[in-house]
Amino acid sequence: MSNAAIPPAVTQLIETLSELPGIGPKTASRLAFYLLRGKSELALRLADALHKLVENTRFCSICYNITEQDPCPICADPARDHGLICVVEEPLALLSLERTEQYHGVYHVLHGSLSPLEGIFAEDLRVKELEARLRAGDVHEVLLATNPTSEGDYTAAYLITRLKPFAARLTRLGRGLPVGGDLEYADAATLTRALEARQEL
Amino acid sequence: MYIRNLSLRHFRTYARLEIDFPAAPILLLGANAQGKTSLLEAIAYLALGRSPLTNTDQQLIHWSAATSGMPFAQVQAEVQKQQHTEVLEIVLQRSQLSNGNTRLDKRIRVNQKAVRRAALAGHLNVVVFMPGDVALVGGPPSARRRNLDNLLSQVHPEYITALSEYQRTISRRNALLRHLGERRGDMAQLDPLEEQLAQTGVMISLYRRRALAVLSSHADIFHQEMTGGAAWLRLAYRPNFDSLKPPALDYQLGLLPEVAQSPVDVDALRQAYREMFLRRRQEELRRGVTLTGPHRDEIRFLSEEVDLGTYGSRGEQRTAILALRLAELRWLQQQTGEAPVLLLDEVLAELDRERRKYLLGLVNQVEQTILATTDVEMFPEAFRRKTRQFEVAGGIITPVK
Ligand SMILES: [Zn+2]
Repeated sequence: MSNAAIPPAVTQLIETLSELPGIGPKTASRLAFYLLRGKSELALRLADALHKLVENTRFCSICYNITEQDPCPICADPARDHGLICVVEEPLALLSLERTEQYHGVYHVLHGSLSPLEGIFAEDLRVKELEARLRAGDVHEVLLATNPTSEGDYTAAYLITRLKPFAARLTRLGRGLPVGGDLEYADAATLTRALEARQEL
Repeated sequence: MYIRNLSLRHFRTYARLEIDFPAAPILLLGANAQGKTSLLEAIAYLALGRSPLTNTDQQLIHWSAATSGMPFAQVQAEVQKQQHTEVLEIVLQRSQLSNGNTRLDKRIRVNQKAVRRAALAGHLNVVVFMPGDVALVGGPPSARRRNLDNLLSQVHPEYITALSEYQRTISRRNALLRHLGERRGDMAQLDPLEEQLAQTGVMISLYRRRALAVLSSHADIFHQEMTGGAAWLRLAYRPNFDSLKPPALDYQLGLLPEVAQSPVDVDALRQAYREMFLRRRQEELRRGVTLTGPHRDEIRFLSEEVDLGTYGSRGEQRTAILALRLAELRWLQQQTGEAPVLLLDEVLAELDRERRKYLLGLVNQVEQTILATTDVEMFPEAFRRKTRQFEVAGGIITPVK
């Protein structure tokens, strides 16, 4: 994309867009020129939305979910069971579990799963932070709800060795979830069954 | 069992092929590079779920399809068993991803139902004998492991599953070892992977040990027959990691089948495996590779105290490989209750008159043998009369007269 005929601002946009997952250079160029042609100031509205995203959202300092206020509404809710922590890979999985309305504990978002082949290791996930929460006390159960994928299973197995010393009850989301899929795609009924059928570890 | 019908689309040299085969010895005649080997490869592809000749499925797609908009290849066969017919199919489809890369999808169907590769096991069994096979005896150990894996994969779906799980875990663990070796980090990340390797590794090793013990005793009988009782043959399994009691088990002499079939303490094996990982951890961190496990197993061909891989003459190696192929045939027959399909590619040329007679005699023991040759004169007249002959030229097959 080092074409002299294209202004640097466009080149920079294309390069930035192609850093997004699932977007290659071709798609990035297409998107960039679409924004340039700009129906109803799409580019400005997008810029504004991105700006707000960065300015107004942050990670909850307790559970690392995405939130506009810290702590997040879930962590701040006294009606929830703060001694029950459900560990998920991504905020989207948390949303799916919330939609079941059957879970009344709090969460911990790892922001990924262990995947050495893609260069993602324990220190890249919010594992230390989870340990600190257990160390701080009064957690009676940790429910591991990583995705039913090979990476998710690996991450759960790793967390078990890491969290065993803290003596909290460790459970895993019940089977019956479609293997290989992400939690965010599971429907509420399936997730509810998985919540009810959680297994002691 | 036998192949009743074979249909290829865009596979290697074949733009399109649709052919019925009888339950009889089949002679494929034709010059080199006309598609004889590709036809045998296609059948083996359906039996093994992978090509015996390449690791790159991409290469199987016909060149004309490779340049068209929707590059794909299809292999399909109707397999006649004793009681029923089965239809096996593999489709390779290449597609362009939005980020500019291409990806190759491999879809496997058994009787029209989409299945994973492991579920192919047991539907079609073949023994493949190709001219380059003699190099197995003295070549790198990976080729001998692969050969054994291909055999076990034809019968045991759980072996395929364990093997692919094992290989994926090895590459994961190696990536993790390199990371930990360079940047430090939590060693506990190794634990789940090592547990996984202990489970699958012990299983792979046991399957190999049991199969090899049986193969070895079959191969020995064939080898003695072919050498007029002059020389015994052993297939010696030398597991990279082994803690089976008694510790001083002599692999030079091979294992008797009874020993190999006797119950083993799997838990003790796994435990020993875990301990081995701990013991070698520092070295593995330094080198960034997993040094222990069946991915480093060795298999040797021994005859009369001599390692044929190192010291065998070309003729001795040929006899040994022939004995192995015959042993594989017998093993498959015992495991499945059906005779496998024999696929022989140009192998007579390498054998002397006695061994030719021996090999051709075996054709009577199976329902179907497919033999590819450039020179029909190599086959005795009496044998030729029993066969159905096809001419192969430029990816087109026509029955002879
Ligand atoms: Zn929170």
